[in-house]
Amino acid sequence: MPSAIHAENISRTFSRGKIRALQDFSLDVETGIIFGLLGPNGAGKTTFIKILLGLTRPSTGSATLFGVPTERYHARKRIGYLPENHRFPLFLTGSQLLDYCGRLSGMHSKAERETRAELLLKRVNMWQWRNTRIKKYSKGMMQRLGLAQALIHDPDLIFLDEPTDGIDPIGRKEVRDLLLELKNSGKTIFLNSHLLSEVETICDQVAILNKGKLVSQGSVHELTTSDRRFQLYIEGTPQQIEPVLKEHTQSVIAHNDHYEITVRDNKALNAAIDSLRQQGLLIEAIIPHKQSLEDSFFQAVRGHSETDLNTLFETKAKTGANDAD
Amino acid sequence: MLTKTFAVAYYTFRESFARKTFIAFFIISTIILSILLLAVNIDVVDGALASFRFFNQDVKNVDQQLRLIIIGIQSTLSAFLFTGGIFFSIFATASLVPNMLEKGNIDWLLARPISRSMLLFGRSAGALAVVAFNVFYLVGGAWLILSLKSGFWHWPFLLSGLIIVLTFAVLYAFMVFLGVAVQNSAVTIMGAYLILFFSPMLAQRDRIYALLTDKVWQYLLDVLYTMTPRTFEVGDITRLVVMNQPITSWNALWHSLALGVVYFILAILIFNKRNY
Ligand SMILES: Nc1ncnc2c1ncn2[C@@H]1O[C@H](COP(=O)(O)OP(=O)(O)OP(=O)(O)O)[C@@H](O)[C@H]1O
Ligand SMILES: [Mg+2]
Repeated sequence: MPSAIHAENISRTFSRGKIRALQDFSLDVETGIIFGLLGPNGAGKTTFIKILLGLTRPSTGSATLFGVPTERYHARKRIGYLPENHRFPLFLTGSQLLDYCGRLSGMHSKAERETRAELLLKRVNMWQWRNTRIKKYSKGMMQRLGLAQALIHDPDLIFLDEPTDGIDPIGRKEVRDLLLELKNSGKTIFLNSHLLSEVETICDQVAILNKGKLVSQGSVHELTTSDRRFQLYIEGTPQQIEPVLKEHTQSVIAHNDHYEITVRDNKALNAAIDSLRQQGLLIEAIIPHKQSLEDSFFQAVRGHSETDLNTLFETKAKTGANDAD
Repeated sequence: MLTKTFAVAYYTFRESFARKTFIAFFIISTIILSILLLAVNIDVVDGALASFRFFNQDVKNVDQQLRLIIIGIQSTLSAFLFTGGIFFSIFATASLVPNMLEKGNIDWLLARPISRSMLLFGRSAGALAVVAFNVFYLVGGAWLILSLKSGFWHWPFLLSGLIIVLTFAVLYAFMVFLGVAVQNSAVTIMGAYLILFFSPMLAQRDRIYALLTDKVWQYLLDVLYTMTPRTFEVGDITRLVVMNQPITSWNALWHSLALGVVYFILAILIFNKRNY
């Protein structure tokens, strides 16, 4: 079975090469997962989706959706798309728009379009607005309708560009639940977002894009566990413990009941443990540090993470205090 | 594929009719039809006819007179449609293509499994359908009312309606081309009006030749004449058709139709190349 999305060495420049929206970007997204594409403003996320949908052509490179080249409109048969900043014809009502979209997506039976529209409008809480013209919708209502039109033909792969943009917190939760439900029914979801906490809770796989380049990719689990940071729970006084730890690690932060250390590699970690044991200190627990997706995002985009900065300051402050002693 | 294209045309039709311009067009047509239905009393002429018959006068002559009146009304209507109607329609349909191409609007359309050519075709067909509907509402309605009242079924009037729609189709092809190329409604309207404006001059370019010093200008004028739909000459054909007069040459119509096809193909080629 081909991957839902396969993109190979995609580059895209604008303004005669001055703006490089994507640089040699390759990506594979397997079916049945929620994939999150992250990146700061102007990173090239929307450009990438547009290339996959055939709205924009890549300068170089190629892509397929379920094995069908994106230049062919057949590739879009099983695809749903919620664009960012979408505008639907204002003279239509919600249910008319869904009918139109259903027909454009090849749903020939009117009855089928109607049942599907009813289901979706109820699902996104827009049923009571179905006969109101889009002209009168609020931003969040427009977004909910946008979500419904993307799903009208029960697509297998759904592209969502900032799906919760303009939606209130309760609505966001509803959208998250909807996405998880879609995933459970076997759909693949490709999502662009700035909301890292949201991505962290629902995405299986994540890629981080910065200035058109792929800087980091992996499962959310991989991106949030750092193999260099650990929490150590040790029995003993700080006077006994801290000198040993400082000898083997790059940074030490003392918390109330534990220490947080950063080591160069596993060897260093084991060396630290050996020293502690030789001192007769009892280790209660070693826990790999979990960083938030936000941390790895900062790390990927800026080259260092927010907490790294904190670590730096805290150790400095500590050394300062020690000096005073 | 066809059902999708039809859906685009259908919703374009509805979109146009949601606009005030076409509602105004429709209301004006309805008023004209009501006047024809209520105010024009051919029975009077019929009565005169009867009395003429009664006196055993030359009935043929009266019949002729009646026909002239009908043809007169129909010529006026067709002239009104050819000038005002087309002018109006250009204005009312110009934004359809540029609007569709706007950021945020084109995205959800192009993400559907429909080819760009068919999308543009459906859009244009929808615009054309609205204009055709309005033209034939007036032409067909007037024709039916006048024919029923007089018993004189003047078919060429219907043909003139068709020519008017075709003329608009040609102009619209040019507008679609401009709309795709520059994505601006104002430029699109101006382009169509420029054609209407220059067509009479180009048709009489022989007279302009005398004023031109250089052969290059003549050549340029000829090129322009070849590239421009000949609305002025087609207008003349329409007039002759309604008035039941002999037409020396249909060339202007064929030439314009061919140009319409060319401009539409160009529009599709550009649309297929564009990035959104
Ligand atoms: N049509 C265009 N013409 C010129 N430059 C463009 C065009 N579209 C995008 N760009 C540029 O390409 C880069 C990537 O834009 P893109 O919209 O893909 O960013 P994004 O990651 O979606 O940002 P955001 O998070 O703000 O939505 C930006 O520098 C943008 O200015
Ligand atoms: Mg974007």
